[in-house]
Parts: sequence; C-alpha cells; structure tokens
Amino acid sequence: MKHPLNQIALMKTKLICGAVSVLLLVLATSGAFAKEIKLLNVSYDPTREFYTEYNAAFAKYWKAKTGDDVTVSQSHGGSGKQAQSVINGLPGDVVTLALAYDIDAIAQQGGLLPANWQQRLAHNSTPYTSTIVFLVRKGNPKHIQDWDDVVKPGTIVVTPNPKTSGGARWAYLAAYAYALDKNGQDDAQARAFITKLYKNVPVLDSGARGATTTFVEREIGDVLLTWENEAHLALKQFGADKYEIVTPSLSILAEPPVALLDKNARKHKTTEVAQAYLEYLYSDEGQNIAGRNYYRPRDPQVAAKFASQFPPLRLQTVDEVFGGWQKAQATHFADGGVFDQIFQPQ
Amino acid sequence: MANRTTGGRANMIKNRTILNPWILAAVLGVPATLPLLADDAADIAALKEQVQELDQKIRILERQHELEDQATTEKDATLPKITIGANGFTMSSADTNYSLSLHGVLQLDTRTFENDDHVPGSTGFILRRARPIMSGTVARDFDFMFVPDFGNAAPGATSSTPTPTIYDAYMNYRYTPELQLQAGKFKAPIGLEQLQADVNTSFNERSLVTDLVPNRDLGVMLHGDLLGGQVSYATGVFNGVGDGRNTSNYTYQDNREFDGRVFVLPFKKSTTPILQKLGVGLSGSWGQSSITNTLGLPNTTGGTLPGFTTDGQQQFFAYNPVRGSVVADDTHWRLSPQSYWYYGPASLMGEYVISDQGVHTANTVEAHQASLQNTAWEINGGWVLTGEDASYNGVTPKHDFDPRNGHWGAFQVVGRYAELNIDQAAFPYFSNPNLSASGAQSWAVGLNWFLNRNIRANASYSYTTFTGGNNGSATTPPGSVSDHPEQVFFTRLQLSF
Repeated sequence: MKHPLNQIALMKTKLICGAVSVLLLVLATSGAFAKEIKLLNVSYDPTREFYTEYNAAFAKYWKAKTGDDVTVSQSHGGSGKQAQSVINGLPGDVVTLALAYDIDAIAQQGGLLPANWQQRLAHNSTPYTSTIVFLVRKGNPKHIQDWDDVVKPGTIVVTPNPKTSGGARWAYLAAYAYALDKNGQDDAQARAFITKLYKNVPVLDSGARGATTTFVEREIGDVLLTWENEAHLALKQFGADKYEIVTPSLSILAEPPVALLDKNARKHKTTEVAQAYLEYLYSDEGQNIAGRNYYRPRDPQVAAKFASQFPPLRLQTVDEVFGGWQKAQATHFADGGVFDQIFQPQ
Repeated sequence: MANRTTGGRANMIKNRTILNPWILAAVLGVPATLPLLADDAADIAALKEQVQELDQKIRILERQHELEDQATTEKDATLPKITIGANGFTMSSADTNYSLSLHGVLQLDTRTFENDDHVPGSTGFILRRARPIMSGTVARDFDFMFVPDFGNAAPGATSSTPTPTIYDAYMNYRYTPELQLQAGKFKAPIGLEQLQADVNTSFNERSLVTDLVPNRDLGVMLHGDLLGGQVSYATGVFNGVGDGRNTSNYTYQDNREFDGRVFVLPFKKSTTPILQKLGVGLSGSWGQSSITNTLGLPNTTGGTLPGFTTDGQQQFFAYNPVRGSVVADDTHWRLSPQSYWYYGPASLMGEYVISDQGVHTANTVEAHQASLQNTAWEINGGWVLTGEDASYNGVTPKHDFDPRNGHWGAFQVVGRYAELNIDQAAFPYFSNPNLSASGAQSWAVGLNWFLNRNIRANASYSYTTFTGGNNGSATTPPGSVSDHPEQVFFTRLQLSF
C-alpha cells in the first residue's frame, strides 16, 4: 500500500505532467512559433527575370490581402532537370516549367500532384505562352531568315539539349513542324531536315540560359534557337547593336504550364498561398508583368497592349502536329527516340 | 593558350592589312601588278574566313570542356559524401539530409592505491570505457545517437565480466537551433561536470559532486540555444534516477522527475576576450521516488547497498542502518548553481549541489522517515603549459605529437578540490555511523598530455580524507574505505575519434 503522502505527491506529478502537455500543445498550435511564409517556385531557365518581378508584386498583393509576409525563392534550370530534381526531393511548393510533360512526370513518378493537374487552372494551367525565334548577330551575316537557312551546311546553330531543356524540345518540334509543313507532312523528309539541323549544333547546353551564354558571352555560333522572351532579354541586356531577332515563318505555340505541388505544399502548410500565387498569374497585374517580360499574355486585352512586340507568325500546337506531349516525348525525346537516332555528338 | 594562338593569327592578318597600302603604293606605277593585288585581297578574305572558322572551333572546344566540367561538378554534387578525419568517419547523402557518423572511445586506465589492504584487486589495468558511437541524421531534422559500452559497462561496476550497457540511445528533432525535442536515454541536464563529455574531463574520474547528480535517465527533453548560443536551456520529464545512477532501459513505476537547466554566457558577444567564455548556470530537479523504485537511492559501488563513492570509485557511504534497510521515498529534489570560465590556457570550473532525498526505513520494527539534505561542491582549474586554449570541449594541440619534427602535442596541468557532506540526520537510522563516513574531502592534481585531437594520456594523484566512518575493523566497504585516507595514482591512455 502506498504512503498517503506519496499518493498526494503522485497526483501532483500527474497534474504537472498534464499541465506541461497542455502548455506544449498550446504553444505548438498557437502563433507562438509563427514565421514568415516561404514559398519555393521551381522553374525553368529563362524565367528568372519574370518571376523576380512577379514575386515582388505577389508579396505586396498578399501582404495587403492577408497581412502576412511571403518570400518566394526561385530555383532555375533546364525544365527536364528541374522536374527530376523535384521528383528526387527538391521541396518546391509550385512548379512553373517549360512544358506539361515535365509536370506530368512529377505527377506520375513523384506523386506530388494529381494526374488532372492541368484542369485546375484556366487555359490548361498555362497563364502565358511563348514561341521559338532566332537570335542572330547584328547584320545577320549568314542571312538567316527562316528554318531553311538554319540547316544550311556551315551554319553554326546553338540550342540546348532536348533531353534536359524544355526550350530545346520546343525548338526541335518547331523545326520539325516546319519541315512537315513544307514537305506535305512527309515524316522521312522532316527527319532528314532535323538531322541536318542538329549536324550544325556543336554544343549542347543543359538549359536555355546556358545556350544564351554560349551564343552571347562565348561568341559561338551564327544563330541561337531560343525562347522569344529570352531573345528579347538578350537584346536588352547585351545591346540591340549586337544582335537581331529573326522571326521564322512558322513556329510552335509554347505553352509553359504552372502547377501546385499539393503534397509539398500540404507539408509546408502553404497550400492556400501557393494556390493564390499561381492564380495571381492570371490577374491583370500578373498578365502585365508577363507581357513586360516578353511572354505572350493569355488575357486578350493585355495581349493587345503588348501586340506590337510580337511579330505575327504561324503558330502550330504540339497537339495539332504531334498528337500531344506524351506522344511527342515518346517518339522524339525518349531514350532511343528520333533525337537519339539523329544526333551525333561532335 | 588557344586564345593566344587565335589572337596571334588575328594580329598577323591585321598587320598584313596595314601593310597593304604600302604594297599598293609601291606598285601604283606598274599596271601589270593589279591582278596580283586582287589575288592578295582574295587571299586575305579567305584567310579571314579560315581564322574565323578556327576561332569558332577553338571556342566550341573550350565551351565543350566547360560544359563537361560543369556536368562533372553537377554529378559530383549528387553523389554521397564520405569524410574520414579526426572527427570520425561520416557518410552523408549529397543533400546532407541523411548521414551516419562513426566515432569511438577507448580508455585504458590504471589505478594504484596506497594502503590497499582492504581493496581487493585494486591495482591494475582497467578498460574503463570501450564505446563505439553511432550518430547521424535522418530526414534532415531528426538526429540520433547510439552509445553502447563494452568496457566498465556501468559506473562503479566491479564485475570482472561487465554486461555491455546502452549508455545513450536517443533521437532529437531539430525544429530550429532554439527549439529541439530529444527523447530516449541520455544524460539528465543537471551536473556541469557530468554533462562534460567523458573524453574531455580534467581527471580520470569525475569529482565527489557528481555523486549527487543523475547520470543517464529515460525521458523527453525540450532544449535549445538562444541568442546565438548565449543562452542554452533544457527542461524535461524523466523517469528519475538516484544520485550518480544510470537508468536501466525500462522501469515499471509511476515516478516522474522534472529536470531543468539554464546556462548563460553573458559576455559571449562582448569585445572583452577575458569574459567571453565565462558561463554561469542553474539546474535543478524535482521528483518522486516511491518505495518500489529500486533506482531511487544513489549509486552502488563496492558495497551491497547504495551509496557514494570516492575518486577511486570506492564506496565510503552506504544506506546501511544499524537495523533494517532503507528505501527512497517521497520527494527528491536537487539544486545546482554552476559556473565555468575559460581564457586562453586557463580554465576554472565550479559547482555546488544540494540533493534532498526522501527516505524511510523498511521491514523494521522501527519506522523512520526523513528528508536527507546532502551537499557537495568542487572547484577545479587548469593551465595549458604549451599555450593552447582550454575549453569545456577539451584542448586541441597546436602541433600534433611528431617527435621527428620536434613537436610534442599539448600539456595541461590540472588541480581539483571537492567535498561531499552527508546530512547528519542520516545517522544512525539510515546509515551506520561506525561504517559510513559522514563526509569526504578530496584534492587531486594531474597532468594531461594531448598528443593530438584523438590521443590523450593522463596521470593524476588523488587524496581523499573522511569525516567519521569506520574505526579500522571493517573489511568491506564502506567501512574498509572510510577507515583511512584514500590515496590513488591514476593513469589513462585514451583514444577518441
């Protein structure tokens, strides 16, 4: 039998245990550990400048709306590489990649978001579009006007590796689409065309920004196949007196998608703000920032405002020409696909 | 090199271009030479084209190398890392979210007693500690530590075949450096000297003060460092163990003990170096020990009943009443102000402990109950003769032991005085005054030799006197220990990594 004093003391002990547990619970669930909200946007190579401006605007908007401070960090690289990093554990809250296939890979291999992610936001979750154009040296010494000039022997072409870069895959498909269009949809001739093009590519960077470095800073090549916004940025940064943008007669409608990484956001308790971050891309301010950074806004009114900076050209979609990204990826960029068959490293 | 070559060729072309007007002037009056001039211009254009082609080829090659290097660097960054060095062996994932470190401690001691008639086998080699240590991190924020001991196995163990014991086995969640939660078996946050790592203590054995603080306990502890390490705190709920005791791996009992400690380095960020490593702290515990708690009373060494031990790890006090036996009962609380100061080669550490232990006699016709307030204090200091900085985490030699090049490592002299006083109310109902001492006073001096960060050799001498105790007839501890001053010469050879 326990001593009466012991029983009283035991009761005291239990009371204190309970009080400590309640205190810990209160501290854990209250705002005692509140901190600044942090988001990580895992993006592709040429969006650095766009998202730097957008993040500041969104933080201001969110502060005004909720009173909370939000800091958005960015991670950039080739779109395919970035998707692989997310699958391997890069803890992004959102992805803003170059093409839907890369986000599909995250859904399938990483299970971080549902398979129908593209239906969750307007325009198949692509708040802005872009295309592939040519950046040439001032005076266009090789007289490059269209895709036929790019494949001429002796022309040095700079474009990144389609295995790792979303922009490079868009560029490849743009050239392929042009060749199909020109040759009555003859796939053999299109393949010969793309073979000739990649014979002119001596260096494969892993991402679009690296390819720009190769062309602009290392002064390699006669033409850079690049994102429209990246070409404009090069003009802005390195001087319109050094480079010219050439718009081909036909190119591809690039639709870079955005998506919430549900699992990561839930873990970071950032679902609400991450979702708002993506939705704000469709707002008037988001669309204007996209336009200012040479992305083609989806909003017709904002698009009209920036129309003068985008010369008219025929744009074909991946769905129309290649039957969608899954098919295009399997046929052209998967291991053993057309690209592996036609490209010989120099 | 490639650029220089390109540049040289370009200059050659440039020079040739500059020379052209002279050539032109020289041949102006000779119409027959005009076709030659045309040929020359065509040659120059062709050469220019060739140079440009070569220039592009060189640039392409350079860029290809650059990209290859970049790819190699990126690939290397994704590979797991293995580090082998004085701090042990560590493997970690590329992102460092997962890691495993292997460390180890090996201590080979000798203890030589004078007047050791009553200390059987007291002189000889002792494998004091033999501990493989595994620690690491999983999922970025969760640390773990696992430390078994194959040496002495438990403090004061005397068996010739000690059972391997788990000393530390815990996991720690790091939310931030300021807020961490640790659960498992680990040192209770009370004693300053006790919390110092075994490999860094000034002497082979901790002082009498450590008799009054818990060793390892099982529980959960919230802890962290605030203000950039100026303040560290720890507070937790434990099963509770007796003074100087290690917990077993499970205890079925209702007892709980609350421990807490705050340690402050108030001048850590000051510009006065002499004060930067001055630390003061206060720790305490409060708990209940019920009569079923076999761990409730202090450590047992040598004798058959729980008690306190000397520097030589001999029991000088035991709860051995004239009649019956003693069990821990009711409240047990401790309070310990503590401080250290390090400045250059100098070190000073001191702490005071009050341990108030509720006890009662059991299985006897005479029932007695009391709260015994035992106290202890120590002060120890040192000086690194070779000039290195002393610290709570040991001494790192400026030059590792390398006699071929005239380097001998670091040497430190250390001294210590400590006392432990038993509450007089302990006698005679809870302890036999004719066997147990009511106090012990110990001084010790020593020389520590740090050959490098991993190897250390110690030698020290300790002299302990007793208040009260045996009159000389006992043949077993505590009587055989308390009947004369204890004089021990210690040595140690230590490997730690």
